[in-house]
Formats: sequence, C-alpha cells, structure tokens
Amino acid sequence: MITLTINEKEITLDKPMSVLDAARKAGIKIPTLCHHEALKPYGGCRLCVVEVERMPKLQNSCTLMAADGMVVRTESEEISRTRRGILEFLLINHPLDCPYCDKAGECELQDLVNRYGPTTGRYTEEKRKVPESHKDHILARNMERCVVCTRCVRMCNDVQGASAISVIGRGNRSRVEPFSSESFNCEYCGNCLTVCPVGAILSRLYIHSFRPWQLDREVETVCPYCGVGCSLVVQVRDDSIKRVIPRMDLGVNRGLLCSRGRFGYEYIHSEDRLRTPLVRKDGTLQQATWSEALDIVAAKLTAVKNAEGGASIAGIASPRCTNEDNYVFQRFMRTACGTNNIDSVSRTGFAAAQKYFEDLLGQGITANLLDGLKNSETILVLGDDPAAVNPVLGLSIREAARRGAGVIVVGYAKGLDKFRTLQVIPRVFREAEVLEEVLTGVFSDRGVRGDMPYVDKGIRELSDRISGKKTGIEGIDETVKKLLQSASTSIVLGMDIVQRSDGHRALFAVAGLTYLLEARLYLLSGRPNEQGLIDAGCVPDMLPGGRPVNVPDFRGKFEAVWKAAVPDREGLTLLEIIEGAGKGNIKALYVMGDNPVRNIPHSSFVKEALRSLDFLVVQDIFLSETAEMADVVLPALGWTEKSGTYTNLERRIQLLRKAVETSSGMEDWRILSELSRRMGVPASYSGPEDVMRELARVSPLHRDLTYGEIAAGDALWPYHGEPLRGEMYEVPEMPDGAKDYNADFYLAVDKPLFHSGTLSRRSRALMKICPEATVRIGAAGAAKLGLKEGDKVRLSTPAGSCEAPVSVDGTIMDNRVFLSGNFTGSGVYDLMNFSIDKITKAPGTEGCEVKIEKIQGRG
Amino acid sequence: MFNDTVLKEIEGIKAKYPDRRSALLPSLYIAQREFGWLSREAMTCVARSLNLPEAVVRGTASFYSMYKHKPAGRHVIQLCTNISCMILGAGKLVDFLETRYGVPANGTSGDGRFSLVIMECIGACGTAPAMLVNTDFYDNLSEKRIEEILENYK
Ligand code: SF4
Ligand code: SF4
Ligand code: SF4
Ligand code: FES
Ligand code: FES
Repeated sequence: MITLTINEKEITLDKPMSVLDAARKAGIKIPTLCHHEALKPYGGCRLCVVEVERMPKLQNSCTLMAADGMVVRTESEEISRTRRGILEFLLINHPLDCPYCDKAGECELQDLVNRYGPTTGRYTEEKRKVPESHKDHILARNMERCVVCTRCVRMCNDVQGASAISVIGRGNRSRVEPFSSESFNCEYCGNCLTVCPVGAILSRLYIHSFRPWQLDREVETVCPYCGVGCSLVVQVRDDSIKRVIPRMDLGVNRGLLCSRGRFGYEYIHSEDRLRTPLVRKDGTLQQATWSEALDIVAAKLTAVKNAEGGASIAGIASPRCTNEDNYVFQRFMRTACGTNNIDSVSRTGFAAAQKYFEDLLGQGITANLLDGLKNSETILVLGDDPAAVNPVLGLSIREAARRGAGVIVVGYAKGLDKFRTLQVIPRVFREAEVLEEVLTGVFSDRGVRGDMPYVDKGIRELSDRISGKKTGIEGIDETVKKLLQSASTSIVLGMDIVQRSDGHRALFAVAGLTYLLEARLYLLSGRPNEQGLIDAGCVPDMLPGGRPVNVPDFRGKFEAVWKAAVPDREGLTLLEIIEGAGKGNIKALYVMGDNPVRNIPHSSFVKEALRSLDFLVVQDIFLSETAEMADVVLPALGWTEKSGTYTNLERRIQLLRKAVETSSGMEDWRILSELSRRMGVPASYSGPEDVMRELARVSPLHRDLTYGEIAAGDALWPYHGEPLRGEMYEVPEMPDGAKDYNADFYLAVDKPLFHSGTLSRRSRALMKICPEATVRIGAAGAAKLGLKEGDKVRLSTPAGSCEAPVSVDGTIMDNRVFLSGNFTGSGVYDLMNFSIDKITKAPGTEGCEVKIEKIQGRG
Repeated sequence: MFNDTVLKEIEGIKAKYPDRRSALLPSLYIAQREFGWLSREAMTCVARSLNLPEAVVRGTASFYSMYKHKPAGRHVIQLCTNISCMILGAGKLVDFLETRYGVPANGTSGDGRFSLVIMECIGACGTAPAMLVNTDFYDNLSEKRIEEILENYK
C-alpha cells in the first residue's frame, strides 16, 4: 500500500505507479505531451512537471514513481511559468498553421497552448523550414509541426516492432523520417498516426476532406478483414466513412490496428458495388426488380428440390457474413431446400483444422484468449506468418518475444524474423515429419498424460512407428528441449500446413503436442467470421452449436423450433460439392458472400464445375468472378451497412453496428428469409437481434446469450453452454518412403499483409500500398534464372499460367515460389491442382511444379 | 554488401558486447571507411550485418557529426567555431579556407581535395582556434599555419 498526497487529497494505491497515473486515478489532471498510455514513460517534454515536497526541483510526474508519504502539488505559479516557457519554446519553430492543418480541433499542442501557453511569442527570427512530404502514398509528413515527442518512433519500435521510422538529426533540426526519407515502405499499420499529438503525420486518405467537428457520428464496430476481430470506430459524414480509428480502451486490440483494418474501408463506397438484382436473360445478366429476382430463385430451387431431391442442392456460406446471416443461411438450406450440403471456403483451412482438433480433443480446444500469447514462455509458430495473416495477433507474439519468450518458427514467418529465437526449416511440403519428430521427442520424455486414452494410444503408436527414423533436420532437438522446459506454451497454426493431401498428419502432431504440453492452440484465421460460421451451423455435419446433424435427438429440437424437417444424413463438404457439381449430382448451388472461383484451388476446374450447374445463385456486394457466372445475382449489404455479430478466433462474439445508410442492397439474412417465405417454409425475423434470440434458444452453445452481454464484452467462450467432448480418429498411416520434392520450383500460396482478395482489391489505399501480384522467389532461385527484382516472368503449371513481376526475398531458402490469390488474372489458385485430404477434406496443394520464364527485364 | 573480411571485422566487434546495438557506432566507422561516407547503401550494409532496422541505423548515424553524411573530399578538415575559437578568429579561417582552397563550410572543394566540417567545441579552448585534419589535431591556428599544415595533405 502506498499513500501519497496530491493537491491536499490523500490517495491510496494498491500497486506501484507513476505520480501521473496516481493523479489521473484520483481525477486530477496533469498536462502531458510526450506521454502516451500505449507507450512506456519517456520524460522528454517536461510539461507534466509537479512540485514534490523535499525535492529541490520540479519533477516529471510521468517518470516519477509514487512513494509512500509523498506530498505533491500539480499547480503553482512556478509550474505554470515552466509550462508556459516549454510551450513557448515548442512554438518557436512551429508553423502555427492551424487554420490549414487537419489536426486542428483534435491537436494536443493546440489544446495545451490554449490552456497553459503564452498568447504571444517573443521569437522574431526565422523559423526552420522543412517542406511537407507527400512522397508516400498513404502517410503525409509535415515535420515543421513535429514537436519531437518521439511517440510515433516509440510506437513503431516498441509496440509495432516495425522500426520503420526514427528521429533524424538533432537539436532543432530533429525530424522524423523513414529510412528512405520519402516513401515509408513499412507495414502501414498507421499506429504512428494514432499517437502523434499534432498534425505532423497524417493519413492521405482523409487530409483536407473534413474537420473533426464536422463528423455526423462515430460508430463502434469490428474490423471486416480478419479473425482477430479488432474493435474500431468508424467516423461518418454524409453517410460516407471518413476515417477509421482504434480506441485505446476498446476491444482485443487496445488501440492497435493493421493496414487492412485502418486503411481498407474504402471498398464499401466502391463504384463496383452491386446496386440491383441481376437476372440472366438471353445469356447476359440484366437488371431486375427484387420481387422478380426472388420469385425466380424460389421457383427454381423448389423445382430442383421437387424433381431431384434436396440432396441435389448445395450452399456455400460466408466467413465474411455475420453469425445472423450464416444462421439463417443454414436454416434456409436445411429446411426450405432440404439439404445438409452446406459448407464454406473455410474448409480449405480453418474449418478443416478446427473440426479435426475438436473431434480429437473436445469442443473449445481452439478457444484461447489473445492475452495468453503475450504471457507465454514459448510460442511455436507453424504454417503461415501470423504478422501477415492476423497482424494484431502477430503483435502479441512480438511483445512476448520482447518480454523474453522463446519464439520457435517451423518453416517461414517473415514478420517474426527479427523476433524468433529459433527457426526449423522442414523439407519442402514435409512439415508433418518434423512435427511428428518433435511430438515423439516430447513423448519420450514426458510419457502419456492419461486423461484421453485414445490420444495417448495414437501418440504411442506413432512414436513406435517412427522411432529411430530421424530426419536429421537442424533445430528439432533444440525445439523439443525448449518445449519440455517451458511452463506455458502456445501453438500458433497457419493454414498452409493444412493444405497438404496428408495435412491430417501435421494436425495430429499439433494436437498431440497441444495435449501433452497442455498448450494453448491458436488457429490463424484470414477471414473475420470463420469460427462464427461453424458455430452457426454452416457445416455439413453439424447443426448450430456444434450438434451432430445425424443424431435424431438434436435434430428434433431444431425441427420443433423451425417447424420443418431437417435431412438426417451429413451433407457434402466444399470440395465434394464442387466435384458433385462437375459430375452433375449437384444441380443448384447457392453462394452467399464468397467467391469460390478465386478462393478454391484449381480455378478452371471450379469454373467448369459451376458451368455444369442447372442453377447458380450468388448473393454478394460485388460482381465477383463467381457472380459473373450466376443465373441470378442478389446485392447484399456490406460491413457498416448492417448490424450483427462476428465470432473471432478466440471465440469471442462481438457486435457489428450499422454506421452508414445505403440504398444498394438487402441484408443477407433478410434475402434468405424472403426466399424461405416464398418457398413455403417461413422464417421471419424483425431484425438481427431477433435472429440472435432464436440462435440463443436453439443452440446449446449460445444458450441465453443476448446482444446486451455481447455489447458489454461478456460473450466469451464457452458462453453459457456445454461443450461436447471429442471422439477418436484413426491415427494417420505413415506413407512408406515419403516423396522428395526436388524439381526446380514449386508454387506455394502467399498471404500478404496488405490484401485479402475481393475487398482489399477495391480499397484504393491498399491498392496503392500493393498494386499488383508479385512472385516471391528466394535469392538462389533468382540467381539460377538470372532474375532481378521487378523482372516480369511467366509462371506455367499444368493447370494454367500467368505473368507477374518478381520480388527477390533473401529469407526464402527452399525451392518454393510464392504467389498470392488476391488479383484477377494472376491468382495462385488459377495455377494449382489439388488432391483432397481424405480425413480433413481440405485441398492438398503441395507439389505443384512450376516453370518460370523471364519475359521482360525491369522497364 | 560488405566482403568477408569486413564482415569478420564486424563480427569481432559484435562479440565484444552483450547487445548488438552497442556495435553500431564502431560498425558505422567501418562502413564509412569502406564507402568513403555513410551513403544509404553503407547504412543498409551495417543494418544487415548487425540485424538492426535500417531506420534505427540512420537515426543513430544522423545524430553524430563525426560521421560523413555526404561524400567527402580526400581529407576532412573539422574546424571548431564555438565560443573560444570564434573569439580568436575562427570565422575568418572559414573564409580563408573557402577563398584559398575553394572549400565551402560543410562542403567539398571542386578538386575533391578537402571537405570542411564546422565543429562544435573539440576541447581545445585553451589553445584555440583548433581543428582536426582527418584524425590529426592542430591548434593555435592562423592563416599562415593552416597553409603550412595543409601542404602535407595533397
Ligand atoms: S505506419 Fe506503422 S510501421 Fe509504418 S511507420 Fe507508422 S507505426 Fe511504423
Ligand atoms: S511526428 Fe508526431 S509523434 Fe512523431 S515525434 Fe513528431 S510530433 Fe511526436
Ligand atoms: S488484425 Fe485483423 S481484425 Fe485487426 S485490424 Fe488487422 S485485419 Fe482487422
Ligand atoms: S509527459 Fe512527462 S515529460 Fe512529457
Ligand atoms: S570552442 Fe573551439 S575548441 Fe572549444
């Protein structure tokens, strides 16, 4: 207990803190400038000075720790004079261009001078001149306004870990610059913007477009891009989003955002948005009215159902749509269409892995809070780069590393290069053998755990089978040692490892490690609602809440509420649906909010399959490659245009709020409800909250959950419900003589920080940061082909070919070349075949040999 | 990138410190020796060999005036113009260097022979004015003495 007196007020503290924090806790205001709650105390500006009895000089309250018996005064003649003096000095070189500066109205310097500063200055000499820099596409720098508080630099170094900017020069010539002094060429998280107290670093997306006091409203919602589910505040004027900002006290991200969340919002106002329903007439898509389009869809689906049975209809749900949309989607598919053929593009990764782990280790095994990462002693990273797929989760790993945690990367994770303590590089596409060796290493020391006999048995069998067959890969023994020493371990799994035709082997090894080490397991999730979609029942085998559809008792409960029958057999998974369409078994397909043509490997095969359908409906906000092939296209509402909930990768349910009014489309769930009615199986709701009310009634997982609890941040797994326990799979067979991948080059899927596909491609800012697809190739590979940065190449595989410029990446040590799936005309999936993993039903995309030819040097 | 000998030299410096950031200042001197001045390329090489962010390297380098931030002449004159030196005529010596050798303050002579860096106090106030030519120290300067000294630096 520390008791001190500030301004005659006695304050008792239960933990050590600075005098500044103690004062703030007691509601006493002390002005600050270099201090920021997201950053460590710095003590640079001295505005926060206070008088402390028995200390000879004024003290910085932000760096002075409160001590028992201290007597502090925060206002006095001397303090005021000092503050006034500091501010007068700061203004010597300040341009005082508030009338023109975008920060005016929310500028800390303006507020401080207004409250504490001199009304006139005595400095009459020349001010320093630093021209404003617009050389960067996103960030504008005006260093005449900079007060060198170093908040931006500390944010970029100590929190973001990008270290892209620093103070250049010294004394009154100090200024903040990126290395190039022009383009930032950084991670573009914009977190430096959040902390700059003045108008020295601004976003070019909004400069000169509004004044802070002209905003119509601010709405708290959740990011539309990835499974971290960062909270953000959307600022709106005239029904147009002017800016997206984080808030220090809000959500899992506590003031941090990544480039997609902060700058990727423009897609919502894109010219390409669908405005009206489209119906194919004489071979082309033509505008239609809602009732015309809905009547056609209802009639056609009813006809297919009556003629061929519900099993000939399938639906693809969306990890971008809300829980409410997805819940109504599966209700519509199961009851009105009479089919369990419901899946999503998540089956290519997240949904496949999630199901595997839950089947084996029990429901909820992947539900772990992000804070757990920061507090881990060892973090094992596999499969993808967390700092690119789930950037704000990546920051937690960086923070853990800074605190001394061991970060072991199996494979590559570029964003952790400066933070990892160990890297193990498996042979190409053979991550499983490394993980199996690690698992048996841990097992031979620890033995079995005993509480899940079938998992123990699996581990023992695996261990017997591979004993004595060491791969000799460097770092495996060290990894085992580190894991055995660690008191608190987290495993972060990226989905690249799942995309192997024997992906279940790696999954078993990860499950075994999770179990033996009692580790927290995090699945990287590149879409905002992958977990929610599964929990809402958009999977072929489970009803909402993860209840098996083939158990009559469970089914009966849902049938009673829905007043309609639910088919009793498990449906087809994503790739089976596509194959079924190709073979003519699936006649009609309903796609909500996704673009299978771009997001499933082997695009030409997918297109061919969709072409064989009798009827294809696509409900989306853009005319995607898939929508272009549809018979009917229905325009949906997008993020910020509707309310609802998302479930993030921690399995936290969060509220999305409507922020802008638009006339372009209809909520996804409402479209489905309209169709249900037309098909004679009414499912009507008054709004998204009404949908949640039903979900909370029927799903044992969401039992009694309300929007009130969700808004209060209380909707954390396991909500109110009872999770199910796992059951056993076959322990994977070890193939004899695993294949070596030693062709010249293999194609692999890149997951860049700045893009997500359909949405990011329509966001001007993200397109400026990263305008085109590039082929990432290792230095050795580039040398072999005589390629330099920027050279254009043609990639060809048996599945297709494309052209793109290369980018040489010294961190790639093997014979893989990476291409992302985000751009039309050069998507990685256009070039890839797949073979299904029989257990996970995910597409194996390994071993895709690729020919690379240089077609043109850099222009 | 640096050649193997230089890399080994830097490894040697790194080995002396528990934190690789401590090796930054000496490594910058090495880069300066190799490249003649701290160009972007030179700083990138330092950043790579110490596994430090480029911006941190540049921020640190830019703080110190002892490094060459511009391409420099064959010989670098660092002349002090702080109080003591100023009182004893350092300002005139600056002009002299410009008219006699064509080397402007904080610039390089057209023939590439000299660069002139205006320094803060170099701790020779008692025998001001003072300067360094490369790493050699000279004090009690006058125009005549400067002419004699610079004869040795072709
Ligand atoms: S945008 Fe992010 S990475 Fe770039 S300089 Fe600012 S804080 Fe650093
Ligand atoms: S740019 Fe802004 S945050 Fe950075 S040092 Fe200058 S005033 Fe501070
Ligand atoms: S980390 Fe994910 S949720 Fe957070 S801002 Fe970035 S894309 Fe959005
Ligand atoms: S706020 Fe305390 S010194 Fe700047
Ligand atoms: S003032 Fe010139 S050496 Fe000190």
